[in-house]
Amino acid sequence: MSAWFSPDSIDDALALIERHPDARLIAGGTDLLVRRRSEMSDIPLISLERVAALQGIEEVREDGMLAIGAATRIAELAVSPLLAANAPLLQRAALSFGAPAIRNMASVGGNLCTASPAGDCLPPLHALGAQVELIARAGRRRLPISDFIVGPGRTSLAPGEIVTRVLLPSRDRFAWQAYEKIGRRQSLAISVVSFAALLRLDDEQRIAEAHLAWGSVGPTVVTAPELANWLLGKPLDQSLIDVAAERARAAVCPIDDLRAGADYRRALAGNLLRRFLRRVQHG
Amino acid sequence: MTKTTNDVNALAVGANETRADAKAKAQGREPYAADYYPDGVLWAGAVRPGARQGVAHARLLAIDTAAAAALPGVVKILTAADVPGTNRQGIVHKDMPVLVGDKLRYAGDPVALVIAESREALRQAIGLVVVSLEPLPAVCDPVAAMAEGAVRVHDERADNLLAAAEIRLGEGAQGLDHCDVVVAGSFSTPVQAHGFIETENGVACCAPDGSLTMTISTQAPFRDRMEIAHALGLSFDQIRIVAPCLGGGFGGKDGATVQCLLALAALHSDGRPVKMVWGREENLLAGYRRHSCRVDYRLGANRDGTLEAVHCRLVYDTGAYAHLGGEVMALGMEHAGGPYRIPHVLIEGQCVYTNNPVAGAMRAFGVCQVTFAFEAMIAELARELGIDPLALRRQNALLPGDTNCAGVVVGESTGIADCLDLIAGHPLWLERAAWKDAAPPGTQRGVGLAAVFNAAGYGAKVRDSAIAKVELTGDGQFVVHNAVSDMGQGNAAAFVQIAGHVLQQDAARVSVRQPDTATAYPSGSSSAGRTTFTFGNALIVACEQLKARLINRAGLLLFVDDDSTLTLVPGKIVHQASAREVSLARLAGFLRDEERSCLGEYVAPLCPDPGTGKGFFIGFPHVVFAYGAHLARIEVDLSTGQIRVVDYLAVTDGGQVINPAMYDQQVHGGVAQGLGYALMEDLATRDGQVLAGDFSRYLIPGALDLPEITSVACPGEESRGPFGMKGIGEVAMNGPLPAVANALADGCAIHLRDAPLTPERVLLALESLAEESSQ
Repeated sequence: MSAWFSPDSIDDALALIERHPDARLIAGGTDLLVRRRSEMSDIPLISLERVAALQGIEEVREDGMLAIGAATRIAELAVSPLLAANAPLLQRAALSFGAPAIRNMASVGGNLCTASPAGDCLPPLHALGAQVELIARAGRRRLPISDFIVGPGRTSLAPGEIVTRVLLPSRDRFAWQAYEKIGRRQSLAISVVSFAALLRLDDEQRIAEAHLAWGSVGPTVVTAPELANWLLGKPLDQSLIDVAAERARAAVCPIDDLRAGADYRRALAGNLLRRFLRRVQHG
Repeated sequence: MTKTTNDVNALAVGANETRADAKAKAQGREPYAADYYPDGVLWAGAVRPGARQGVAHARLLAIDTAAAAALPGVVKILTAADVPGTNRQGIVHKDMPVLVGDKLRYAGDPVALVIAESREALRQAIGLVVVSLEPLPAVCDPVAAMAEGAVRVHDERADNLLAAAEIRLGEGAQGLDHCDVVVAGSFSTPVQAHGFIETENGVACCAPDGSLTMTISTQAPFRDRMEIAHALGLSFDQIRIVAPCLGGGFGGKDGATVQCLLALAALHSDGRPVKMVWGREENLLAGYRRHSCRVDYRLGANRDGTLEAVHCRLVYDTGAYAHLGGEVMALGMEHAGGPYRIPHVLIEGQCVYTNNPVAGAMRAFGVCQVTFAFEAMIAELARELGIDPLALRRQNALLPGDTNCAGVVVGESTGIADCLDLIAGHPLWLERAAWKDAAPPGTQRGVGLAAVFNAAGYGAKVRDSAIAKVELTGDGQFVVHNAVSDMGQGNAAAFVQIAGHVLQQDAARVSVRQPDTATAYPSGSSSAGRTTFTFGNALIVACEQLKARLINRAGLLLFVDDDSTLTLVPGKIVHQASAREVSLARLAGFLRDEERSCLGEYVAPLCPDPGTGKGFFIGFPHVVFAYGAHLARIEVDLSTGQIRVVDYLAVTDGGQVINPAMYDQQVHGGVAQGLGYALMEDLATRDGQVLAGDFSRYLIPGALDLPEITSVACPGEESRGPFGMKGIGEVAMNGPLPAVANALADGCAIHLRDAPLTPERVLLALESLAEESSQ
């Protein structure tokens, strides 16, 4: 058995981290506890689930962003009216996450810090341009999510630092938002490929702005900014869709694993973009 | 509270009586073996170094237990040198060491057994046992294992063959020479895990007199005694096995799992109880599993669709040890020609040792592998001939009195034609064209069929008998002493219903005691679709005897000489004419202890040897079969290759139905497990190491992956079965894979020969089809 600490403020949490530098932070534990099962770890745990400042979803008045507390449950994301209005794709990701019991435990901050290439929240957060807010004794800092997650299972979280909030800039100008998760079964499955997209057309039905993100097709989420830029100003027709799908296949760098082979993942990355663009095309 | 019929009326066979175990299970009160934690219990666990060191075949050089033994809470560490007896377990072929002494034959082979005061100490100690291995070349492919000069899994088996056999009818493969049309195909099927919820476990205690009492999650409590006794040099009557309800079995708890290790631990625990529970990872490494299979077929017919000849070769990978591999292969072979009339047959089977984990018994025991291939061949033949696939099956379906592909003349209860006719008249079949046309954009729909059958009983040369005991308690209640484990399929509830029916008692007056070798009698295993058939027949005999005895004693008390005027009703015996009665409680008071119990015995029918088989050891052939016709309607996502099974219809010939709801549950469960096999389940290995070692990687279907399953019972009667029933626990498992594969061929014109039918395989096949057609 390992020691378990349950601070109720950020200050207490930071003090505990200082006292137990070998401790791991835990929120829902749906990743960490499964790993400890095989690793026989007796490292102390500091639970963040009782820290009120890390809970909840709210609008940040000064800069018009949505703030999601790092310890907020995935289940809460799934029912939040604020997310329904501003980031429906993140909500869809939350609903595809594990199964109800896991959604009731797992936290958005945990999904970020686990930094799995297959993390269900990560493609939508990338497409939404999310920023990650961190706190340490020394102060706060903010990073774009693409700078926060640096590799499979690797983040730029420094020792002594806690993720406090995920901040979402306003994306309500995007009429088209999509999230799809393809797994080996309909629930409780790790994604084989996931796909998130935000897209806006101008008055002449040309692509005015697009953000794309794929999960499980690279060491971290693939956002293919060249492809998104290439789409800009182009009319959405069949030939554009075909070329875009082809470019998406080229942009991703998947591996073979037990869930699927790289060729399938590459095909899927293209097909999911194609399906999304077709939907937009047909209005 | 409203009274249900169960409260007042006698139980009736054929009625939807509430399962006797429903309430206790819904309330979480039904005890399973895993629930027993006796005071002062010790924990036992196996050291399996192959998986840890990534080795599947290795010489065992040394075991250093010093560090583990020094850990506080560690009681003892045992190795092969501590195993008395033969140190060999196995149901038929005893080739599996309890603890390995010389070499590891697969990644899960145990080399040491640790006994500790706590689960935590056990876990740590297992990690501290240092095992030196000298890796040997491993052979993990069954075809390579049969090649000249291949690595030997067992030194005495040069060809690595556990079993090889053939079935020949008519002109055999030559029959193909004069067929108008011949279709051919090669198929492979995956390893499937049983996926039961309650993993392998038990608790054991050795008394000062040397007797062992064990509570085990087991399908074969009586046979376990023999297996343990043989392996550990004990006498079987020293061993008492108690078998509570199982949290699933599906064949995976038929034969020793924890039994011998746990008995060995108990012998070294100074009279303290000792418990062993395999985790899920251990279950998927060291538990049994379904045989993967490679299958080659040629099937020939005349232009008019009459099947003429079939030739197939089946290769079953049994892994490192025999378990029931030879018998699994035998049953697969017996079904390899489908439920059809085919005059010329050659079926060749081989069951091969490899350094893979151990394959063994699993629901549809060797049959679902061949059904996939055969039913795909029939579908292909229908396309080739331009005949409706249902009509082609119906035209060739076995009828009573026909000879099946094993040369057995099938009996009156052969309902495959009737099952197919019920499909033919069902809206899911009749309205298929309109349904397919209504496929949403980006999808394609297909409809597929499968005609299946599955033998019941052990087959030739294995005595298939049961001894049932029913008891009137001192207070006038009835207890059925079940002797064949209830793994969830509901046989114990069926026994209550049968006893209540014969003894004319209501649910409150009949209970069941789960198997205990000290109080019940040897009745074989809970397996092979024989559980309710064989034990149920014995139980009817016992109940009728007891009923006659009670009527006789009531006649003495009531001064009535005509038995026919006495009626057994819930709780009493009544003489209608005089309105006099005697309660069963009072009657019980007049009976001596030994009079209050009756035993009934039954031996299942045997098949006369048709002289068609060569190389079979036991288990060939069978004489009672359940039949089924299945229909799957699927929708394929053309962007992802995902298959959604939208509707599923399973028509089953199981003879008469004891309990319609339980009948449907068996079919639903079989179809669900079969759809898992069709769509996703694959306990793959690489170099003998399990890849999908837990339930996050080994996927079984969830509620969202399964369609509404319509179960239809085909009317029929098996005259030898209790109340005309046949076992249907296995037959439903055979349909889903071929039905879905045939639906895929129907909807998308792709013919997948390797299961499971994953989205990846589907999409890549769709893409190559598109490339072909654009060229």
